[in-house]
Amino acid sequence: MSSFSRSAQQWATFARSWFIIDARMQPPGKIATMCSVRLQGKHKPIYHALSDCGDHVVVINTKHIAFSGNKWEQKVYSSHTGYPGGFKQVTAAQLHQKDPKAIVKIAVYGMLPKNLHRRTMMQRLHIFPEDELPDDIRANLTEELPQPREIPKKLSDYTQEEIDAFPRLWTPPEDYRMK
Amino acid sequence: MVFLTLPCWIRSRGPDRYWKVQELLKHARHFRGRKNRCYSLAVRAVRRAFVYATKARKLKKRNMRTLWISRIAAATREHGMKYPALMDNLTKSSVQLNRRVISDLAITEPRSFLSLAKLARARQQEGFRAALGDGSEPPGVFSRVVMLQ
Repeated sequence: MSSFSRSAQQWATFARSWFIIDARMQPPGKIATMCSVRLQGKHKPIYHALSDCGDHVVVINTKHIAFSGNKWEQKVYSSHTGYPGGFKQVTAAQLHQKDPKAIVKIAVYGMLPKNLHRRTMMQRLHIFPEDELPDDIRANLTEELPQPREIPKKLSDYTQEEIDAFPRLWTPPEDYRMK
Repeated sequence: MVFLTLPCWIRSRGPDRYWKVQELLKHARHFRGRKNRCYSLAVRAVRRAFVYATKARKLKKRNMRTLWISRIAAATREHGMKYPALMDNLTKSSVQLNRRVISDLAITEPRSFLSLAKLARARQQEGFRAALGDGSEPPGVFSRVVMLQ
């Protein structure tokens, strides 16, 4: 950093970065907290609510998001159309079916501060259901954030050698029938 | 006939009402609407503004402290620690810097702040060793607290 001139250093401090997060097999709440922290600019020591120091965040693979527990069936998203009898309640699974971007979007919207800056911060959030990104966004990206949750390996991902090398407690006899 | 009571009806009030009114209106010049021109409306608005200013002097201290704390928290997370751990270990190492100074260091002196974060992390590790060990190990370098007479 000492090789940069002072003006270049200051320019870099106040620049707006573009972060990318891969949401494959991640809980949407944890993704949303990371997004909201960076959209507000709270990850910077120069943070101030009025100084517009938020960054852009790109979330990809939101179609492959993973709720823990039974939230796909139990978590309910409610809304009202404004007309009488227009109270709608949809489960997370139904909402994800209809629009794969909505769960992350609603989660981040609820985590941002409830003031007039929220809409501008939501405009700086870019959500994509799959891997494809437009070229101009891809050209702007500066940093990839690590995933919050470690993805457990499926049995099909282990090689046969690793499965054989794993210690066994007992070997079943030949005529043993698994349920 | 001479009207002798007419001079008694002319009352001369104070000579400097204009300047007293201007002294008040100068505090209202940046208000919206007629409050910035008309004295009766301005009096109420200016009194309210002064009351808000008085109450805000206490709030300013609170708001500045929360701002310092959020800035320090952001800077410590850049170095892989959390704010409570940093402050706790700095006080245990008898570093008596207040939050204002630490937040200014985090902004303008990043390497000094990094050294503070490393100091706090070393003291934290010593604390863990002292808690998990059995007391046979000597206390660490940073855990020594000097009592000055």
